[in-house]
Amino acid sequence: MDAAGINFESGDNGGGVSESDGGMLLPQRPELLQTGFNPALSRMPAPDTICSTLDLPLDFVPCWTPRRIPLRCIGLTLPEGVEFLSPAPPKPALPVDAPKAAAKSAEESGDGEQPKKKVTRLQPPPDALSLQDRLFYLLQPPLESWLAGQELIMPFEPFSYQYEGIAWLFSSQSALLADEMGLGKTMQTITAIRLLLRSGQARRILLICPKPLIPNWQREFKTWAEELPVVVMEGNGVRRRMLWTMPGVPILIANYELMTRDLAEISEEEQPKFDLLVLDEAQRIKNRESNTALTARAIKRRRSWALTGTPIENRPEELGALFEFMEVIPKGGSPDLRQLSRLAKKYILRRTKDLVMKDMPPRIDRDAELELTDAQESAYRIAEKEGVIQLNDLGDSITVQHVFELVLRLKQIANYDPLTGESAKLERLQADMEEIAASGGKAILFSQWTKTIDWLEPRLKEFNPLIYHGGVPTKQREPILAKFKQDPKAHILLMSYGTGAVGLNLQFAGYVFLFDRWWNPAIEDQAVNRAHRIGVKNQVIVTRFISRNTIEERIDRVLREKRELFEMVLGEGDNNNRSLSLSASEIFGLFDLKARHKDGARSIGPKPVAAGGEAA
Amino acid sequence: MSESAKTDQLRLGFMETIEVEGRGHIGGLLITNQNGRPLEFQCTTPVRPNRTQEILFGETLKPWLLGELIGSTLLDRVAIKPSLVVTSDPCLLELRNHTHVPIAVAESAEGEQGGTTGRRGIPAGGEAENRKLQLGGSMLRFHEAHHGDVDSLQKQKHLIPDSADLQEPLERVREALAETVRTVFAR
Repeated sequence: MDAAGINFESGDNGGGVSESDGGMLLPQRPELLQTGFNPALSRMPAPDTICSTLDLPLDFVPCWTPRRIPLRCIGLTLPEGVEFLSPAPPKPALPVDAPKAAAKSAEESGDGEQPKKKVTRLQPPPDALSLQDRLFYLLQPPLESWLAGQELIMPFEPFSYQYEGIAWLFSSQSALLADEMGLGKTMQTITAIRLLLRSGQARRILLICPKPLIPNWQREFKTWAEELPVVVMEGNGVRRRMLWTMPGVPILIANYELMTRDLAEISEEEQPKFDLLVLDEAQRIKNRESNTALTARAIKRRRSWALTGTPIENRPEELGALFEFMEVIPKGGSPDLRQLSRLAKKYILRRTKDLVMKDMPPRIDRDAELELTDAQESAYRIAEKEGVIQLNDLGDSITVQHVFELVLRLKQIANYDPLTGESAKLERLQADMEEIAASGGKAILFSQWTKTIDWLEPRLKEFNPLIYHGGVPTKQREPILAKFKQDPKAHILLMSYGTGAVGLNLQFAGYVFLFDRWWNPAIEDQAVNRAHRIGVKNQVIVTRFISRNTIEERIDRVLREKRELFEMVLGEGDNNNRSLSLSASEIFGLFDLKARHKDGARSIGPKPVAAGGEAA
Repeated sequence: MSESAKTDQLRLGFMETIEVEGRGHIGGLLITNQNGRPLEFQCTTPVRPNRTQEILFGETLKPWLLGELIGSTLLDRVAIKPSLVVTSDPCLLELRNHTHVPIAVAESAEGEQGGTTGRRGIPAGGEAENRKLQLGGSMLRFHEAHHGDVDSLQKQKHLIPDSADLQEPLERVREALAETVRTVFAR
């Protein structure tokens, strides 16, 4: 074998090395030329042995090394949230126990809702186009765990619809939260603000509200977001100017009047900028050309939220003013009903108690349509006939006030006949109250007139009535409410719409009687909401007394027709319509008034319009 | 344990991978604070093994692809280094052999009571019990070759509330990956 270790198959010359010798056999025998060297080739070689180190590299080594495949990454760094000092001393509810504590608090507070398994995830807004923007929302924790006390302590567990409202606000650049009153718009707004601050989405927030509501907002912030510093715009002009322009104030609360006055005095260059502007009772800017609306729209901000339980007070077009503030329609834009409806679906979140029924026992409305007694009927017809004649005689000098007076007189007779004291409503009320008292229930009765309430009191003695109206001194009011709550024999509380419709929590009353109709369903709803509000444990039965063939029936019909129009804009489910006040033309329309002239008669009063005019 | 970890705060990583049909695997890593608030997110472009890799790696292909390749890339890329990486996929445990950060598979704590076999075929009991740690509402399983992981996390266990759900952020990562796939591949 030669040094390279290659052997040729020797064949018949017998000089080769076999495979068993360890050599490699070539498959083909080489052709030998007949030369003088051939014998030399056939001679066996005489190998000599030498020592050599094996330091030569192998010519070919099959190998495969796993290579790290370079991967590209898409990254997102989430903004640092604003850190606030926890209110000291720390709450006894440690993070570990916080969810239980929150649930317990809710139970104790009468809210009575069990903690829910449902998870509310934040969703990216439809107009968020960039991947980073969309991922920001998807990567946030579910609200239930975010607010479960690990980082943010909530005094009470929110209801599921409130979680949804918070998530919706958080994801919205432009939003109109129009929940029915009593559903917690304030709490949802505060919590969404809290999350925006915590997640670094906002650092400077301006909240504008009517002046009387400022203490309410302060109190609610204290309850729901104790750690957030809130500054109220107050003091002299110098101080206010400093507050408007001072950076580092996370939440600034001002009233509409100061907003309009102060910002007019600040130069364009110094105008403050905000990450979020919230308008509470945003119907204040329904007149687009008012100073208030102009000023609010001029404030520099990134997000615009509006809060109101009455997005439409009289005309659907009022929504246009709110949409313009929210910058979802062009300046001066006048969307038609179809466009308004489309915008409403996108930018308005409105829940009525009907829609969140699963979270609250139902409110059952029933109309008690009653025939007047004979004496009432007689008195009513005479009054109506004489009244209409007098109005017709006034001709073009007639005002809405004249018509109003007649309406009031007729409504009073529909309550009871002042001469005989007969009252179909009282008869029905007494019958109902006997049942309610027998079952240990409690009822609230609302009337437009304190005179009616005073008239009712002696006639309801067996039910131990309590009176709460504007004629009752302020100091005596709280004890009356306490007695109504605590005294099992006190079955009925007689209240006036004006005094009793707002700010009271009377969830323990299961029955509400609307003895006469208010001009505006929103006020009636406010009254009913004293009993039917968050915390109510049982259904609330609302009975509205309506006298047949009277002015009450006509008013009810007009209001119902208006509701249908507003439902077109705000959607179905909005059964408890808001402030749909009667307009002047609608009040005139309650009677067929005609001025007599030598050549006949013609209608008097303002012409009715589809939905408009001055509210009553 | 990561050096970045401080005694008063814990940075948690949540890593998941998904397979995109015809494109391969992508992975995502979400870094949160101990309360689940997101701080940073990274996700990879899709990676698909070739035929040679499939043959040569055999059964170790997925741990290599998901753990060593995708997982290491993600951990390298995040600016905020986590003290612990949680996942639902045992294949990602392989990542522990390439990093000093503890890697754990999160499973429901309730589901572990009295079971002899854990989810995804991980044996419970005996040796396996020594590499388990209950954190929040989840049972974490650590890599069997890194015994010190459980001990090191015990010291910071108090920073995680008992009510914390360590599996929930994994869902966020999966949603974010799905959103990324939808957005990027729609272009």
